[in-house]
Amino acid sequence: MANASPKTAHAAPAWGGWLLTLGAIAVLVFGLWHLGFSLTKFLVGLGSLGKFVVLMFPPDWGDNASLWRYIKALAETVAIALLGTTLAAVIAFPLSLIAARNTTVSQILRFFARRGFDTLRGVDTLVWALIWVNVVGLGPFAGVFAIAISDIGSFGKLFSEAIEASDKRPVEGVIASGGSRLHAIRFGILPQVAPVLISQYLYYFESNTRSATIIGIVGAGGIGLELSEMIRTLEWQKVAFLIIMILITVSVIDRLSTQLRTAIAGSKATPN
Amino acid sequence: MLSIENLGKRFGGKPALAGVTAGIADGSFVGVIGRSGAGKSTLLRCINRLVDPSEGRIAFHGKDVTGLRGKALRDWRSSCGMIFQQFNLTGRLDVLTNVLMGRINHMSLVPALLKAWPDDEKLRALRALDRLDLADLADQRAESLSGGQQQRVAIARTLVQDPRIILADEPVASLDPRNTKIVMDSLRDLHREAGITVMCNLHSLELAREYCTRLIGMKAGRVVFDGTPEMLTDDIVIDLYGLEANDVLDLEEAAARQLNGSAALPSAA
Repeated sequence: MANASPKTAHAAPAWGGWLLTLGAIAVLVFGLWHLGFSLTKFLVGLGSLGKFVVLMFPPDWGDNASLWRYIKALAETVAIALLGTTLAAVIAFPLSLIAARNTTVSQILRFFARRGFDTLRGVDTLVWALIWVNVVGLGPFAGVFAIAISDIGSFGKLFSEAIEASDKRPVEGVIASGGSRLHAIRFGILPQVAPVLISQYLYYFESNTRSATIIGIVGAGGIGLELSEMIRTLEWQKVAFLIIMILITVSVIDRLSTQLRTAIAGSKATPN
Repeated sequence: MLSIENLGKRFGGKPALAGVTAGIADGSFVGVIGRSGAGKSTLLRCINRLVDPSEGRIAFHGKDVTGLRGKALRDWRSSCGMIFQQFNLTGRLDVLTNVLMGRINHMSLVPALLKAWPDDEKLRALRALDRLDLADLADQRAESLSGGQQQRVAIARTLVQDPRIILADEPVASLDPRNTKIVMDSLRDLHREAGITVMCNLHSLELAREYCTRLIGMKAGRVVFDGTPEMLTDDIVIDLYGLEANDVLDLEEAAARQLNGSAALPSAA
């Protein structure tokens, strides 16, 4: 399907560009002044940042008991990300069918589903973590909920957009053969969108591993809790060790999920 | 007997069909001709209710199908197979599953959704594929097949529906001459062997004359010709196709030449 969008030729007069640039500079200068930006403070700070870096070497995990604790905490972080993302995807999928124009059961429900997604998505995972820590108490449970709730919003939006972008011809094929709406979704739409949905799920799992570290800091379980504890007690060598652990884990997950996603995308790239 | 009475359809105020009346006798091969936008597609889609008509009535053997809902509507769709210009298969599903869609109305919901197909249904689908020389492609993804093969898969899907009518909406418009002949021939075989009524939208007059026993000519949503292919004179063609008439008539001559040529040189095909 050739769907060429018309090119919008923007012919603004030359002085318009200058005015815009000057305006942007003015806003920047005002912002720096208003926020109390000071070059000296920054340079002095840079010095102490250097001191911290020196204090971090060599990275050290302390005794074997705490090493074991860190590994468990890291595994917990990955588990929070995995469970949170999975829970979100499982809940978001049926809701996204309601939110998509071509599969919805009623326009009113569609409106509420879409606004609901916007609301969940509009509040950051960190804020959800703070809320859930108060509701279910400190620990990984709160972290799972925080990720799940905010990602239901993101998944709902992404999934429903993928469903809306799907080709309607297979759906007509199933309906014309005597299939019901459910059959049409299962055999007309799902095979088309599944690779997109799985790819989005993997991407979110990857990015949630990072988020799960951060929300640990506010008490939602995992390695973040250990990290904030070590920063508070100025154990810089342990901080360095924890950061390296997180970096390695995140990059391993990143690699795995990228490979999986390209494998899925590759299997889609067949002629016609 | 499929009777269409005073059928009308408007899309946002613009009439696509107006006062269409026709009776389609059982076992006929009817071609619907006319230029694009004449309402041929809308007419076919009204019959199996992919489009709901704005007015008028369609009845099959005296039973009104215009008001059918739910299970009754799905049963009706199941009994009238549809062939689309773009095949309308699910590209990422294998050929066999695509054919089994034609049986889905007769299966229980949960096993069907889980693709736990009953053996007799699988056998039936395989037999249909075999009849169209596609049995060895059953486990291939539909999208990996050529256009002609995909259209034959679509015919197999229709075949397992055990239809009483086949509606074919420009079935060969996306195909090359060789596949055009294969697909039109298999439609004609179904019509002759199983006595299925076929209603087929065609842009090509050449094909319409060759395959159909009766032609319905449409112009701006109305029926302006209804008769045998012999009754279709050049004057009527000019009226049907307007400025495109010369193209259609030229094409017809060219196609005739090409058909004669390929008959003389079978190895070139």
